[in-house]
Amino acid sequence: MKRVLFLLFTWSLAALFAVAIWRDTDREWTRTQRRFFKTLAKGERRGLSPGIKQLIISDLDRVDRCTTCHLAVDKPQLALAEEPFTAHPGQILQSHPPEKFGCTVCHGGQGLATEAEAAHGDVKHWEEPLLRGPLVQASCARCHGDVQAIAAHAPLAIEGEALFRAKGCYGCHAVRDFGQTVSQDLTAIGSKSYLLMEADFEMMDPPHDRIQWLTSKLRHPRRLNPGVRPEHLPPGEEEVFPSAMPRFGLADDEVRALAVYLLSLTEFNPPVSYTTPAAPPAPAPVYSSAEARGQAVFERFGCAGCHGSGGLGGRHNWNGGLGQEIPSLLHVKAYYGQDIESLKELIRRGRQPVPRADPARPRTLLYMPAWADRIAEEDLDALVAYLLSLSDRLPQAASE
Amino acid sequence: MMPVKQYLKKTKVWKSIFRHDFTDTPRTRLLRVFGNVFLHLHPVRIAKDAIRVTYTWGQGGLSFYLFLVLIVTGILLMFYYRPASSLAYRDIKDLSFALTLGQLLRNMHRWAAHLMVVTVIFHMVRVFLTGAYKPPREYNWVVGVLLLVMTLFLSYTGYLLPWDQLALWAVTVGAQMAANSPMLGSEGPFRLPFITTSNDARFGLIGGTVIGDATLIRFYVLHCIAVPFIFSVFLCVHLWRVRKDSFSKQTGEKVDVWPHLISREFLAALLITVILFVWSIVMNAPLEAEANLNVTPNPSKAPWYFVGLQELLVYFDPWIAGVVLPTLIIVGLMAIPYVDTNPKGIGYWARMRWRRIGGLPVWYPEERPLAVSVFMLGIVMWFVLIFIGTYCRGPNWEWYWPWEPWSHRRIAKLTLKSLPNLWGGLLLAGYFLFGVPVPAKAKRFSGALHLGLGLLMSAALFVPLLIAPDADYPLRSRSQTLFEALGRSTNAPVVAGMYQLVQRGGPWIGYPLIAGLIGLVGLALGWMGTRFARLKDRLYEGLGPLKYAIVMALLLMMMGVLGKIALRLLFGLKYLLSLPAFNFNI
Repeated sequence: MKRVLFLLFTWSLAALFAVAIWRDTDREWTRTQRRFFKTLAKGERRGLSPGIKQLIISDLDRVDRCTTCHLAVDKPQLALAEEPFTAHPGQILQSHPPEKFGCTVCHGGQGLATEAEAAHGDVKHWEEPLLRGPLVQASCARCHGDVQAIAAHAPLAIEGEALFRAKGCYGCHAVRDFGQTVSQDLTAIGSKSYLLMEADFEMMDPPHDRIQWLTSKLRHPRRLNPGVRPEHLPPGEEEVFPSAMPRFGLADDEVRALAVYLLSLTEFNPPVSYTTPAAPPAPAPVYSSAEARGQAVFERFGCAGCHGSGGLGGRHNWNGGLGQEIPSLLHVKAYYGQDIESLKELIRRGRQPVPRADPARPRTLLYMPAWADRIAEEDLDALVAYLLSLSDRLPQAASE
Repeated sequence: MMPVKQYLKKTKVWKSIFRHDFTDTPRTRLLRVFGNVFLHLHPVRIAKDAIRVTYTWGQGGLSFYLFLVLIVTGILLMFYYRPASSLAYRDIKDLSFALTLGQLLRNMHRWAAHLMVVTVIFHMVRVFLTGAYKPPREYNWVVGVLLLVMTLFLSYTGYLLPWDQLALWAVTVGAQMAANSPMLGSEGPFRLPFITTSNDARFGLIGGTVIGDATLIRFYVLHCIAVPFIFSVFLCVHLWRVRKDSFSKQTGEKVDVWPHLISREFLAALLITVILFVWSIVMNAPLEAEANLNVTPNPSKAPWYFVGLQELLVYFDPWIAGVVLPTLIIVGLMAIPYVDTNPKGIGYWARMRWRRIGGLPVWYPEERPLAVSVFMLGIVMWFVLIFIGTYCRGPNWEWYWPWEPWSHRRIAKLTLKSLPNLWGGLLLAGYFLFGVPVPAKAKRFSGALHLGLGLLMSAALFVPLLIAPDADYPLRSRSQTLFEALGRSTNAPVVAGMYQLVQRGGPWIGYPLIAGLIGLVGLALGWMGTRFARLKDRLYEGLGPLKYAIVMALLLMMMGVLGKIALRLLFGLKYLLSLPAFNFNI
C-alpha cells in the first residue's frame, strides 16, 4: 500500500512539475513569436532572437514588453499585414524613438504584461486601458505644451478642447487653473481611480474602464447617476437628485473628441526633456464692439454650460425655482434694463442658494457661482452689454 | 554497475560520509535515525498507536513541512523582490509575467502560507481534543500557542509585500487596530497623555503615521528575518519538548521509527506537495491595482484569518475587538493546561455519543464534555465569524448573502440605539453574576436566586427599551423613545415585533403581552441559570476559587460575545454601557 502511494505521489509530482515547465515554455507570446519567425526567410532572421523583448525607459519609470509580440513594429521591412506583426504606421517613431519613449506612455495598456489580454489592459485591476485607434491622440497633450503645433497629428485632441470650451464646461468644472468649482475638478480625470467609479460601473455596459465611463457620462450623464426617489429610500431619508450635468446631445464623434481631451488630463508628469513648451500667449483680440467682447467673455467662462448656447436657456436644474430650469438670458433687458448695477452685483456675487421650487425637497445641485474674482470689471461691463443685447433675438411684437 | 558500487563503498570518501550500510537489519534501522542529524529528532522506536494517521492526522508534521516549503519558496522569492514602494509592485508583476516559473513560485508561497495557518489551527484542535496538552506537556502547549500567533503574524506581515491595494488596505485594517490599543494607541481608551499619532502602537508597527516605504521595509525584515528567526527558536523548543515530555500516546507495541514513521511522514509531505502544486497551477495568487493611499477599496477586508476580528468590529469598539479580545483569546488559550485539572482524556479521542439534553438530541463526548464543548464552540465561532466576514459582507460592510451580487448603489439604513448606562450596567452585572457560585449558606434559595437574576436581566433589557427616551432625539432621530425608534427600524426584529403588537392590538393587549414576554424570557434565563448552577458548584469544588474565576470569566466573555451579537442583530442595540469620555463602550 505504502509503496503504491509512494509511486503514485512521486509520479504525480514529477508529472505536475513537467506540466508547470511545459506551461511556462509554451506561453502565449512564445506561440506568437514562433508564428512570426516561420514567416521569415533565413537571412531575415539574422539579429532576431526569441525571448521576451523589453524597452526599459528609466526616465519615464516604465518597462514595456509590447515588442515581445509586436516584433515588427520598428522594422517595416519585416512587417506583415496581420496583427500583431504590423509596422508602426506613419513617421511618428522617427521623432519618438521607441528606445526613448517605449510604447505605453502613448498607447496605454500594461507594459509589464506578456499576455495580450493583460497587456492591453482588458483585465481587472489594471487602470490604464489601451488607447485604441484615434484615442491615442489623448497622449499627445501630456508632453506637447502646444498641441496646435501638431494639429495634423492630433485633430481630435484639439477638437475636444474646443468643444469643452464651446459647450461651457468651464462654467462648472475646473481644469488646472481655470474654471468654476460648481462640480468636479477635471485636472486629473484621465487618471481617476476605477474604485471611485464602481457605483457608475453598475449602471453601464462593459467594458468597465475609464474610456467607456467617460463616453457613457458624456452621452447621457443621468444614465450613470439616475438619483433615488424617496419611495426607494428608507423612510425619512432625503431623496437624491439625478446628475445635475445637462445632457448636451453630443454626436458620436463629438463624444469621442471630448473623451480624447478628458483622457489627456492626467497626473502624468513627464521629465522636462520630454516636453515641448506651451504656445506663447495669443495677443489680446480686438473686438469690434462691447457686445462682441461680451460674447467672448460669455463663451470663455462657460456661461453656456448652464444658460444654454447664446443664453437660450432650457437646462434643467432639479428643484430649482422658475420651473426647475436655469433661467434663459433672453429677458435680461426686461428685468434689469433699468437697474444694471444690480445685474452686475448678481454676476459678481452669484446666487446661492438658488430658490427652490418645492421647499420640502433638497436644495438644487446647480447654482450661480460668484464671478467677482474671475471676471475683470471691464469684461463685466462688456458682458452686461452683451446680455442686454440678447433680447434682440426675441420675436418682436407684431404691432411694432 | 554493481562492481563500481562495491568499489565506491570501500573508498575512504564513501566511508567518511556514510557511517553504516543500508541493509534492512534492526541495527541499521536504528543507525539511520540517530546517525542522521535531520532524523535524530525522532525517537528510535515509537508506540504503534502513536503513528496511526487517525490519531494525529499529521497536522503538526505538516505544519512543520509547510514552514520548510515557505522558507524555500520565500528564499527564492527574495532573489526577485525589492522592498521599496516604487519597485515592489513591479517586481511582483515581473514574477507573474516574465520570470520562469515565477507565478508558480509566488502561488506556492501564498497558498502554502494559507495552508499552514489551517494546519496549525487543526493541529491545535487535535492536541486539545486528544488531551495532549495535559501534564507534563502544559508548557509545550503554551509554546504552540506562541507559534500559532507567530504564524498569523508571519502571514500578516507577508500580506503587505506585494504592495497592491489588497495588501495595503488589509494591513491598514490591522494597523488601525493597533491605534486603538488601550493606553498606547492614539485613538484608544485611557490614552496616556504623551501618546500621539507619531509615537503610539500603530506608529511602532508601521514605522510612520501612514503606511509607506518605512512600513514596507519593516514588514519585509519582520517577515523574512526577524519573525522566522524567533519562530525557529520556538519551533526547536516545541519539537525538543515533544521528545522530552514524551509523546502523548504510549499504547501499542513499539515499532522502529525507520521505516514506519519516516515513511508516513514522507508520504504526507508528498501528498501535501501534490495538493499545493495542483492548487498553484490552477489558481493564481491575487494581485490587485498598485497600492494607492488616496482611494480605498470598498469593502477592504483583512486577511481571512483576521476577518473574524474585523467582523467583531461591527459589534464592539475597535479596542475591544482588535486588542482586548485577541489578547484574551491568546491568554485564554495559554491558560488552558493550567486551569484544566481534569486528568482524563490523554492520548485518545473522546468517544462521542448521542444524548438527550432537555429533549434535544446532542452529540456529546463521553469524557471532558465541558472542556470539549467550550473549546469547540470557540473554534466554530471563530470560523463562523470568518465565514460571515468573508462571504456575507459587501460594500460598506453591509450584509449580502453569498449568492447575492454586491451593489455600490444599495442604500440601507441601520437604526442602532444604546441602552441607558444604568440599565445596561445592570444587565451586564446580572450577566456576570450568573458566573458566581451560590454560597453554601444560600444553597436553599439557589433556584429563587437564579430565577430572580434571570428576571432582573430580562427587565434590564426590555424595560429601558419600552420607556427610555431616545437620546439621539431631536438631533438625528425622528422618534422620541427607543421603543418607537427601534420599533420602526428594519434591523431590530424583536423590538419591531413588539412595536407592531402595540400598534395593531392597542396598548391594552400589547403591553400585557410584552410583560408576559419579559417574564417568559426572565424565567427561561433563570431556568438556564439553575441548570448551570450544578455545573458551577462542581467546577468550583474541582478548581478552587482562582482557577474557577479564570475559567468562568473566559467562558462568560466568550458567551458574552455571542450575546452581544444577538443583541445587535435582534434588538438593534449598539452599546450596553457607553462612557465616551474614556472611549469606553461595550
